[in-house]
Amino acid sequence: MTGRVRTSPAETTVVATSAPRWARLSSLILAVAGLAVSAYLTVEHYSSSTTLACPETGVVNCVKVTTSSYSTLAGMPVALLGLLFFAGMSVLCSSFAWRAASPWVARARLAGAVAGVVMVVYLVWAELFRIDAICLWCTVVHALTVALFAVVVLEAALRPQDAP
Amino acid sequence: MSSRTRDKAAARERVAAMRAEQARAARRRRVLLAGGSIGVVVVLLVGLVVAKAAGVGSGGSAGSTSTPSARAAAASTAVVRAVTGVPQATLDKVGAGSVQAVPRKVDAPALTSGGKPKVLYVGAEYCPFCAAQRWPVVVALSRFGTWSGLGQTTSASDDVYPDTSTLSFHGAAYASDYLSFTGVETNRRTKVNGQYPKLDRLTAADSKTFQTYDQPPYITGSAGGIPFLDLGGSYVSSGASFDPQLLAGMSHRQIAAALADPTSPVAKAVDGSANVLTAALCEVTGQQPTAVCTAPGVAAAATTLTKGAS
Repeated sequence: MTGRVRTSPAETTVVATSAPRWARLSSLILAVAGLAVSAYLTVEHYSSSTTLACPETGVVNCVKVTTSSYSTLAGMPVALLGLLFFAGMSVLCSSFAWRAASPWVARARLAGAVAGVVMVVYLVWAELFRIDAICLWCTVVHALTVALFAVVVLEAALRPQDAP
Repeated sequence: MSSRTRDKAAARERVAAMRAEQARAARRRRVLLAGGSIGVVVVLLVGLVVAKAAGVGSGGSAGSTSTPSARAAAASTAVVRAVTGVPQATLDKVGAGSVQAVPRKVDAPALTSGGKPKVLYVGAEYCPFCAAQRWPVVVALSRFGTWSGLGQTTSASDDVYPDTSTLSFHGAAYASDYLSFTGVETNRRTKVNGQYPKLDRLTAADSKTFQTYDQPPYITGSAGGIPFLDLGGSYVSSGASFDPQLLAGMSHRQIAAALADPTSPVAKAVDGSANVLTAALCEVTGQQPTAVCTAPGVAAAATTLTKGAS
C-alpha cells in the first residue's frame, strides 16, 4: 500500500512507499497519451491546420476550432500549452516522481491536474458557446486531462497523511 | 499484573482506537472531497453540453440577421486612428515586408470615376481572405485620402480562419484628391437558412469589370474569387496578399496596434502589402502625392511589382 508504520522498541518511523500501482500506471499512460495528441495538434497548428484527420462540416470541425481566436491564449497557441502541460505531467507521473520523497512533487502534480481541468472547462465552454464547433482531437485531450485529474486527486485522497 | 497496570494498558488502547478512528474519518473526508471535486468537474462539463443543447447563450453561427454579430458595427475610433495613421517610419522600415502576393499589371482601359482613377474592391463580410486584405487596403488608401464610416466586423464563424477581425467597407466613404474608391461587400458574415444574406450590389459597370478581370490570365487562380481589387485599371489582384492565419486570435485593437511595430509579423504582412498597393497606386496617380510615392518603403515595395508576379 502507500505507507506503513514500523515500530521498534527504540523508535516509531513512517516509511514512505510509492503510490499504488493503478495510480502510477494509469497516470503515466494518460499523460503520455495526452502528450502524443498535443504534439500532433501543435504540429498542425504550426503547419497549415488543414490536414487534421477530422470532419470539417457541421458541429465537428477541427479546423474551425484550431484556427479560431480561442486557439491562442495570451499569444501562445493553446496546442503548445497543452503540449507543455502533458510534458510536465508526464514527468510528474513518472515512476521516479511517484517515488520522490519531497511532498512538493505530489503538490505540483495535484496543482497541475487542477490547472489542466480548469483549462478544459474554459476550452469546452469556448467550443460550445463561442466557436460553435467541436474539435475531436481537442476532445480527446480534454477527456485525458479530466481522467488524469481524477486519478491524481483520488490517489492524493487515498494516500496516508504521513506519506509525501 | 496489577490493577494499575491494567488500567494504563486499557487507556492506551482507547487512545489508539480513538486515533485510528480519527485517521479513518480524515481519510473518508479526503475521499469525499476528491470524489466531490471529480463530480463537480463532470457536472460542469455535462452542464455545458446540456446548456448548449438547450440553446442557452449561443454565440453562434445559427443566428439571424437581427443579432448584433450579424452586422458590422462602426469601427472604434482607436482602431480607425491606428490603421489610418500608421507611422511613416514604420512603413518605410517594413518596405515590402512579408507580402506573399502582389497585384498583377494588366493592359486594360483606365478605370475612373469622377475624373479620378478608381479603386474597385469586391469582397464579402463572411470571407476570411477579404478580412485579411481589408487591412492593407485601408492603410494604403489612407495615404491618398480620408476614410469615414468604416465598419468593424469579423469573418464568418463557420468558414476557415473563422472570426478573423477586420473592417468593413459596407457603408464606408472615402474622400481623396487623387483617387476614388468603391468598396462592395456582397454578403453578410452570418448565414440565414444556409446562405450568407446579400449586402451590397455591384453596379452594372463594376460587375463587368469584376467579371472581365477576375479571371485568368489577369489573375492567378480561379475566376470569380474574392477579394478582388482593380487599381485604376492598371493592376488587379484576387485573394489575400498574406495568410489570414497571421491574424488568428487577434482583436481589432491588437491588429491595429501591431501595425505600428515594424518588427511584428502583422506589420510586416499588412504594412508590407500596403506599401505594395501604394506603389501600384502611385503608378495610377502619376506618382502623386510626391511625399507618399517617394517614400523609401514605397520605393522598396515597388520593386516587387513585376508583371505577372501575382
